[in-house]
Amino acid sequence: MSGTDAGPPDVDLGRVWLAVAAQVWRREPGWAERAARRLLRSPGLARALVTTPSLLLGWLIATAVVLAAGAVATLGTGTPYVPLLAPAVAAAGIAYAYGPGIDPAWELSRSMAVSDRMVLLVRALAVFGLNAALGLAASAASGVTAAVTFGWLVPMTAACALALAAATLAKSANVGVAVGLAGWVITVLSGNAAAGRLTTAVTDSALVLPYLAFAVCCGAIAAYATRITRGTS
Amino acid sequence: MDDDELIAAVAGGDDAALRELFSRHAPWLAARLRAMLPAAEVEDALQETFLAVWQGASGYRWARPGGAAGGWLWGIARRQAALLLRRRGPAAVVLPAVFAPGGQQAGDPAEAVLARADLDQAVAALGPAGGPEREVWRLLYLEDRPVAEVAQLLGVPAGTVKSRAHRARRLLRGALGGGPAAGGGKR
Amino acid sequence: MNVELTDLTRRFGRTTAVSGVTLEAGPGVFGLLGPNGAGKTSLLRMMATVIPPTSGRLRLLGRDPGSYAPRREVRRKLGYLPQSLGYYPGFTVADFVEYFALLKDMPPGRVPAAVAAAIEQVGLGDRARAKLRTLSGGMLRRAGIAQAIVNDPDLLLLDEPTAGLDPEQRVAFRGLLREFGQRATVIVSTHLVEDVGAACTEVALMEQGRIVFHGTPAELTARGEGSGAAGDAPLERGYSAVLAAARSVPAARA
Repeated sequence: MSGTDAGPPDVDLGRVWLAVAAQVWRREPGWAERAARRLLRSPGLARALVTTPSLLLGWLIATAVVLAAGAVATLGTGTPYVPLLAPAVAAAGIAYAYGPGIDPAWELSRSMAVSDRMVLLVRALAVFGLNAALGLAASAASGVTAAVTFGWLVPMTAACALALAAATLAKSANVGVAVGLAGWVITVLSGNAAAGRLTTAVTDSALVLPYLAFAVCCGAIAAYATRITRGTS
Repeated sequence: MDDDELIAAVAGGDDAALRELFSRHAPWLAARLRAMLPAAEVEDALQETFLAVWQGASGYRWARPGGAAGGWLWGIARRQAALLLRRRGPAAVVLPAVFAPGGQQAGDPAEAVLARADLDQAVAALGPAGGPEREVWRLLYLEDRPVAEVAQLLGVPAGTVKSRAHRARRLLRGALGGGPAAGGGKR
Repeated sequence: MNVELTDLTRRFGRTTAVSGVTLEAGPGVFGLLGPNGAGKTSLLRMMATVIPPTSGRLRLLGRDPGSYAPRREVRRKLGYLPQSLGYYPGFTVADFVEYFALLKDMPPGRVPAAVAAAIEQVGLGDRARAKLRTLSGGMLRRAGIAQAIVNDPDLLLLDEPTAGLDPEQRVAFRGLLREFGQRATVIVSTHLVEDVGAACTEVALMEQGRIVFHGTPAELTARGEGSGAAGDAPLERGYSAVLAAARSVPAARA
C-alpha cells in the first residue's frame, strides 16, 4: 500500500485503508439474499442462489412476459398456450441454473466447503419453484380448466430434469437448453400426431407415470454427472 | 490526476481514486490528528474520515484553485475527531496526554516540537481550565458543538458564547503569533 | 503434519496419473516440480479434495477427506488455485473473491475485511471493483491467488500460480509464499525451477506419476554437479540430472 511510509510511526495506515476498503468493496446482500441466508442457514449457499443466471431480474421478467403472452393468446384463441410454454421456459431456466459456481470454475467449485451439488440442487429447486408459480399464475389468468392449469407440472418436471441431465453431462448450459427444448417440442408434436391435440402432452393422464420415471432417470444421470470427475493428469 | 479530479472521480463511484486520495493525504491527516488524539483513535478517525469522503464526495465544491481539497479533507477529519472525542470523553485530558515522551512523529520532528510548544502556549493563554474562554474553546472548537448547544451547556446566552469565542480566537492568534499552526485547514 | 500421503495412486481408465506417492508435509513451502504429464496436477487435485484417490491413504489437516463431514472441515481451511481457472466475466474482483470466501463457509461478518486484505496482498487494490473481463491474464491469476488465500488457509495448494506474472510480481508472490509458509503448508506446483529455488524449503520432483526426488533445493542442486546435465542454473542442472536418471531406469509401471 503506497504512502504508508509517511505519517506517524504508531499509526498503521495500511490497517486503516483495509478497514475503509472492506466497507467500500463489499457487496451488501439484498433482501432476497438475506432471506435466503436465514432459510438455507448458509451464507455461501444464499450467495450462490442469488447469482443464478436464470434467477436474475432480467431473466425473470422475460419469463413472466413469455407466459403472460401465452395467457393472452389463450384468452384470444382458446388454445392453452401456457401449459405448452411453461415447461419449455422452465427447462431453459434450469439449464441456466448451471452457471457461475459450477461452470466454468467447476474445478474450484468442487473444492468448496459448500458443495457444488448442493448449489446445483438449491438453484434447480428455486428455478423450478419460481417457474411453476409464474406458470400457475399465467395459467389461472388465462381461464382454462383446472386439469390443464395443473396438468403441466409433471411434464415440466420431466423437461427440467432432461435439461439438467444434458447440461451437467455436457458441462454446458447451452446444450442443456437445446436438449430440453428439443425434447419438449418432440413430446408435444408426438402427442399431437397421436391424438390430434397439441395439449395431449399435458393433459393425458396416462403419461404421468412415464414422465415421472423419466424425470427420475434424468435426475440420476445429473447426480452421476456431478459426481464423476473429468479430465486426466 | 489532481486532487479535484480525484474527488470528482470518487463522487462518480471510482474506488481506485479513493485509494489514491488515501495514499496522498492520509499521512499528513494522520500526523495532524495525532496532535489531538492517541494513535488508536487516530486510526478510527481516519477510517471514518475516508468513509465519509466516499459517501460525501459529491458535496465537494471546488471554489478556489489549489489547496481546496486539503482544507475540505481536514474539515471532515476534524469533524470525525470531534465526534470521537464527544463519544469517548472530555477533551481537556486528551491534548496533554498526546504529547507523551517518545511520541515523536516521523517525517518532521521539528514541526512536532513546534506544534506542541505552540499549542501548549496557546492553551495556556486562554486562561485556567474551567475559565470562560477555555471552556468555550473546548466545547465550540474541540468538540465542534453548535453555538446554541454550547450556550445551553454553559448556561449563558448565545451572544456571550460568541463574544467569548471571539476573545479566545484573539488570544490564540496572539499566542501562536499568527503562524502556520494557527487554525486548521491549510495544507 | 498437515499433509500425509501414503502410497497414493490415481488411475483414469488405463492411464495411471499418480503412482504410489508417499509424502508428508508440515508448515513451510513445498515445491512440486516435473514435466507436463508427470502427475502434479492430479496429485494437487487429490489434495484439494476435487478427485478421490484410486487407492492409498490420504490425510489432510489430520482428517480423512473420504467422508463428508471431515471433508467439509478440511475445505474450510483449504486454499486452491487450479491450473486453469475459469471466471465469471460480469463479476468484479471483489465479487469473485467474496463469492468463494462465502462458499468456504467463512463467517459473513469477517468476509469484507478478509476480501480487502487478500486483494491488497496480491496487488489488485486499484482494480478491486473492475470487472474480471477487463483484466489481463496475469491479473486474473492474481485474482485467483486472492480467492485461495482469503480464508487464511492451513493448506494452500497452487498449481502454476506464476503464469502470466511479470518478474516483479513473481518476487512479490514469493514473499507472499514465505509469509504463508510460516504457519501453513503451501504446496506449489510449477515448471519454473527458479520459483522453486527462491521460495521453497522442500522440493519433490515427479516423473510419470512417481516421486523421483524429495529433499531440499540445495540437495537437488548437488545432484546436478559434475553430471554434465543440461541447464543454465545449478538447480536446473540438478532437475535435469534427476530426470535423466529416472528415465534411464527401466521400471515396470503398474
